Amino acid sequence: MSEFILPAIGHLLEPLNIFLMIAGLTGGIIIGALPGLTATMGVALLVPVTFALDTTSGLIMLGAVYVGAIYGGANSACLICTPGTPSSVATTFDGWPMCQKGEADKALITALLCSSFGGIVGTVFLLFLAAPLARFALRFGGPESFWLCLFGLSTIAVMSSDNMVKGLISGAIGMLVATIGLDPHAAAPRFTFGYYPLIQGVEVIPAMIGLFSFSQVLYLIGSYKPYIASYTPMPKSLGRVARELFATCKILLLRSSIIGTLVGMLPGAGGEIASIISYNESKRWDKEPELYGKGIIKGVAASESANNAVIGGALIPMLTLGIPGSAVAAVILGALLAKGIQPGFKVFTVTGDLAYTFIMSQFAVNLLMIPVGLVLIKIMVRLLSIRLTFVAIAIVMLSIIGSYAIRNSILDVWIVIAFGFVGYFCNLVKLDTGAMALGIILGPMIEENFGKCVSLSKAVDGSILQVFLNSNIAVVLIFCTLLSLVTPFLLEWKRKRARGETGGEANDA
Amino acid sequence: MKPGSLLKIALAAAMLTLAVPALSFAAYPEKPVNMIIAFTAGGSSDVQARIMQKYWDKYGSQQWTFVYKPGAGGAIGFGEISMARPDGYTIGGINVPHMIIQPLVQNAQFSIDDFSYICQVVNDPQTVAVRKDSPFQKVADVFAYAKANPGKLKLGLVGPNTGHHLMFLDVKSKMDFPVTEVFYKGAADQNVALLGGEIDVMFGNLNDVMRSVEEMRMLAMASEKRNDFLPNVPTLREEGFNIVSDIRRGFVAPKGLSKEILGYLRGVFGKIAADPDYIADMKRAGQPTEYMDGEAFAAYVKAQNEIIKAALSRVGSKK
Repeated sequence: MSEFILPAIGHLLEPLNIFLMIAGLTGGIIIGALPGLTATMGVALLVPVTFALDTTSGLIMLGAVYVGAIYGGANSACLICTPGTPSSVATTFDGWPMCQKGEADKALITALLCSSFGGIVGTVFLLFLAAPLARFALRFGGPESFWLCLFGLSTIAVMSSDNMVKGLISGAIGMLVATIGLDPHAAAPRFTFGYYPLIQGVEVIPAMIGLFSFSQVLYLIGSYKPYIASYTPMPKSLGRVARELFATCKILLLRSSIIGTLVGMLPGAGGEIASIISYNESKRWDKEPELYGKGIIKGVAASESANNAVIGGALIPMLTLGIPGSAVAAVILGALLAKGIQPGFKVFTVTGDLAYTFIMSQFAVNLLMIPVGLVLIKIMVRLLSIRLTFVAIAIVMLSIIGSYAIRNSILDVWIVIAFGFVGYFCNLVKLDTGAMALGIILGPMIEENFGKCVSLSKAVDGSILQVFLNSNIAVVLIFCTLLSLVTPFLLEWKRKRARGETGGEANDA
Repeated sequence: MKPGSLLKIALAAAMLTLAVPALSFAAYPEKPVNMIIAFTAGGSSDVQARIMQKYWDKYGSQQWTFVYKPGAGGAIGFGEISMARPDGYTIGGINVPHMIIQPLVQNAQFSIDDFSYICQVVNDPQTVAVRKDSPFQKVADVFAYAKANPGKLKLGLVGPNTGHHLMFLDVKSKMDFPVTEVFYKGAADQNVALLGGEIDVMFGNLNDVMRSVEEMRMLAMASEKRNDFLPNVPTLREEGFNIVSDIRRGFVAPKGLSKEILGYLRGVFGKIAADPDYIADMKRAGQPTEYMDGEAFAAYVKAQNEIIKAALSRVGSKK
């Protein structure tokens, strides 16, 4: 390994590669920031360009676009409450309230620094632990994934601790929406009402764009505000944010990055799940969970570090086993195969030069992202000084074009509009749209993996319990899920007792 | 109006109608051609078409514009091709047996007769694959174990209603094969399940198993003859089981394409398929090439349609 590292760094210093990293990052951040243009699409669009480059440079560029796009989603999440990529759904929970409080630059810089941190942690895992982690990821089959998703879903309980019933209702509506389309096991169409395109189901991204961004536009138009939010630039914000992060979020960042890497390794589970899980874990373990969702940097930090750590994680099984850990990794794998690079553990020896140059480029890209991102933040934050009427039109236009572009289907445009109204009315009656999004994202995965468990149970005499209990990982996850479900009650009890105690002390005094 | 001028107009009109088809033929293609891909960007079908594009640019005069219409296992995109205007400016990639199964089981908005067939470019056979450390050394061991231990052998398939599923139905119709079958959404999930030990054996396409070739052992291939990619792997027929199952990739245009344009397309695709650099690129990408001209491909699809219809009727999946 060490014999490859120095030449790898040498490759990175070539002017062409530096240029590709900066260009890839810039393009990636812009693609990520535009709602509807996702990281997957950005990388896929650039694959033909790599045919003209040599393999190493092509791979470096794709990696840079990937990193940039996943981070870029945070910008629109904070500024217009629209996750630019599905991975930044959880960033809106705190990033948007921060923006409304006039702390847009603080939110954006937090997102930038944490993305970079998460990306570097993910790459460290990729560099040193690729082989054992790939073996671990393989153990996630049907039962393990089913319980991981249920664990993710159980976080609704934490997320909507103010009103759990409403949280559960929204989550259930989300899961119901997720059943539209072809049944994954019997291949029977469900809830299509004879309209053929619905057979492909409700795509997650248009539903998100509708729930979060289109509904925001409706809300903003109704609010008669001249601008999205007031904004006064904070002097020396970079230094301040860095100090605050270092002082309060060390453990949170590390935990979120590790969650991101681990979730990233699993095929099928990507940044959207990693960021939601780590957001909720941060909230669960925090001393003041009630501050989450009201605009604190911890919320942004948890989500953004996790979704960028996913990248390193997703590349682990792709390079070592030829199994992509995310949709973007699948596109990069396609590009590698087209170049005749055979993935496998041998990738680190036979084509070690390429593999380590790529890994080292991920470090470089994550560091370069800070200056590139800062420049772009300066530009993007100007959005807040444009009159709302123009911004609203632009958001609607981008939402519609972006959702159509995902799979060139007019159905997705209708989904955006329909979910825009759903989101708007949900906000009016205080139904949690975050929980609904979680249901839509996790619903299909839960169903698919549950079906696998049912099929597998045939081999153990028809007992699905046996399938669950046969897997140690599933047992641990069942335990975590149960724990997650009782935490709100435990916390409530603890809070009451604490209040009782302080009350008692007051009486003593 | 004088009769003379009427005659002139009639003559001019006659000349125009004669000239138009000749002109359009001479000029085709005079603008970029839309290439519809019914799967996501970066998938196997896309990678194949992108390699093809490289050589299209060499032999053809216009570029391809890629249009991705994924969903419903390709049925959305195939339907889109069939509904396009047959002017030669919309063509697309199709997969067999997907395009045969979908109209049979899910009311897809096309039928196999809605296309003009350009050619077949890939024949990706199914393989029977196990983990490197599996006790199964020969494919006969797998079938014998399944028979002796009903329900104990866990078999992974991509599906339902796919080429993998058809092969499974074929095997079941030919022998006693009581296994626990598990369907996966895609080849990547299926590979994970095999490597992670969730399933014992799988039917997987050559193109897909080649991605994890270091970790797997291919026991047999469901093809007519051995494949260059894995020359040591015997065919199922060699092993005594008469099963042939594969996925074909080809290109089509909507039905009603003019003879000239179809001829042009078939000619260029034929030249690409014979280019040694193209064949080398395809091999590097793990795509098993097998060229078949448009007529032969159309006949193959028709023949398969009857076979698959019969197989699905037997198990009651057909509508």
